[in-house]
Amino acid sequence: MSLTATAATGWGAVRGRGERLARVRGWAVSLRGVVLVTATVLFLASLITFALGALSDSNPAAAVLGETATEEDIARMNHEFGLDRPLVVQYLSWVGNALTGDLGRSWFTTIPVTDSIRTALPVDLSIAALALLLALVIGGSAGIGAALSNGGILDRGVTLVCSLLGTLPPFVMGMGLIVLFSVKLQLLPAGGYVALEQDPVQWLRFAILPSFALSLDVASSIARQLRTSLVGELHQNYAIGAEMRGFRRRRVLFGHVLRNAAGPTLAVIGLAIPLVIGGAVVTEKLFALPGIAQLSLDAAEKGDVPVVLGTLLVTAVIVVAASLVVNILQNLLNPAARRSDGVARAARGGAR
Amino acid sequence: MRTSTRAQGRRPALPAALTALWRIPSARVALLVLAGIAFLAVFGEALAPHDPIKQYTDEVLQGPSAAHLLGTDYVGRDVLSRLMAGTRLSVLGAVEAVLIGAALGVPTGLASVWLGPRLEWISLRISDTLVILPFTVFAIAVAGTLGNGLQQAMIAVGVLISPTFYRITRSVALGLRKAQYVEAAELMGATEWWTLRTHIWSKVLPNVAVTSAQATGSALLVVASLSFLGLGVTPPAPTWGGMLSADLGYLAQQPWAPIFPVALMMATVGSLNLLADAIRDVTGAAPRRRRRRRRGISHVPAPRKEQHDVVPV
Repeated sequence: MSLTATAATGWGAVRGRGERLARVRGWAVSLRGVVLVTATVLFLASLITFALGALSDSNPAAAVLGETATEEDIARMNHEFGLDRPLVVQYLSWVGNALTGDLGRSWFTTIPVTDSIRTALPVDLSIAALALLLALVIGGSAGIGAALSNGGILDRGVTLVCSLLGTLPPFVMGMGLIVLFSVKLQLLPAGGYVALEQDPVQWLRFAILPSFALSLDVASSIARQLRTSLVGELHQNYAIGAEMRGFRRRRVLFGHVLRNAAGPTLAVIGLAIPLVIGGAVVTEKLFALPGIAQLSLDAAEKGDVPVVLGTLLVTAVIVVAASLVVNILQNLLNPAARRSDGVARAARGGAR
Repeated sequence: MRTSTRAQGRRPALPAALTALWRIPSARVALLVLAGIAFLAVFGEALAPHDPIKQYTDEVLQGPSAAHLLGTDYVGRDVLSRLMAGTRLSVLGAVEAVLIGAALGVPTGLASVWLGPRLEWISLRISDTLVILPFTVFAIAVAGTLGNGLQQAMIAVGVLISPTFYRITRSVALGLRKAQYVEAAELMGATEWWTLRTHIWSKVLPNVAVTSAQATGSALLVVASLSFLGLGVTPPAPTWGGMLSADLGYLAQQPWAPIFPVALMMATVGSLNLLADAIRDVTGAAPRRRRRRRRGISHVPAPRKEQHDVVPV
């Protein structure tokens, strides 16, 4: 694998006059890598999505009219939705339209798919964003606490809770939260939604339980990874040296070690993004939120192929974009990763 | 360590590996729990005290009693019987998905190391693409286009699990390809197929075993999520996830009801995780998480360890 080879040579070899030039070239090369990899992944995602639609034996007439559809109906509606064209033409026009933000129309309501997604998506995105924030806070503090009390009660407690959380389906914690906060304490609503731009306070009331439920899974990955990297970094020479010079462990941790340990943790977050989006779908159903899950589940039940394909494609694009952001952050944070292959790796979602 | 080298002979002897596993207390517990689950999966339906889909309409939402040991659900079905009978569908689904994932991921992972850079690049991109697709969204799309059924759902999950197998196989094979004894064998004229069978496979297998155990655990959770969404198994047939989904509407009346399916699920997934750790300890399979990840070094087992593992014939 070329990555490993490049990683081994490192920045250290490049010095002096050529340094700036090499850096610019490195960035150019890595940018090309990012674009190539991202484009390929998006292309493959669109191909998989389209293939699902092409493999499907449902057609608009049968889906809308049911058993009463005659041959003429089927042919007429297939023509209407352009399904009588060759597959390659269909794919190209579908992707071409998708690039301009047009994902076709629902077979049932003929509402543009993009419009339905546009109304449903903010629900999931706001929940997922809040969940990531909560996961960072909860997982981050748990991980740091565990590393500081390495081997102590807190450390063992965090490890135990994390491994228990790993054996639960993500929606079970949500059920527990409903029982505790909605049924027993009657503090928060068990379901429903108010848009963020309508009333932020009400939004928070409705969003806090789903986000918290969604965050726990990621929080436990963050805590585990952060603890492992922190403990590892604390044994590095520079950390031991700093401690020996009389700095407190806490100061060493926050001043020196945390930045280095954050890299792998960000990689974990990058890997967790599909889980968060996928978990958002379940959470959404659990808390009866009017989001993507409801849209695509309804569509899937009716066999409304354009809506189903549209949601899958949009989800894939969101995950790619989010992974890209996470990994560029990782790149900025960790100078050692800023080698020619750094961003190329970033594009692959921090792939191992 | 002695046992681990024995289990790692040229021809990996399953009984030896099992004996070594049995010596680890946590693995023993895990194996016992899993044996119990397997027993339930086979005989659960026959041994259930009541018909799992029979509705005792005058005994709706009952607490545990002598007639219904774990109570009844919202239409008066016996919870214990549903748990026992639901084991088969819940577990079989996950196992099937993992088998599909392994069947897709392991050969392609091996092939990616040997079939030249172009195919390697393409296979890596396919793996990247499958990794970014969220399980639930993809499964909904598959249900919407190819129909809602257990087979479709399992294929969807299996396809999305396959990159895990692809990556672990690939990283082990990649590391071994550069190992001295493999190069030596190739220099002495061994065919690639022979090296693969003799040297690579016995090292890939423990890693595949570890990954399978872990993947079965996560597949079980994914399957539960899918049945919670109403995908895969159609409602009257009992599954653990489906039972949780039914409990959701009656949390106010029976807040403790989810505990039973959740406990079974935790026991199963927890045992699979313990088993994965134990297999890793016994066989010396490459650890999944290494601190070094941040330096961009892929998960290649340290060369020192590889050579240590080899038993001279």
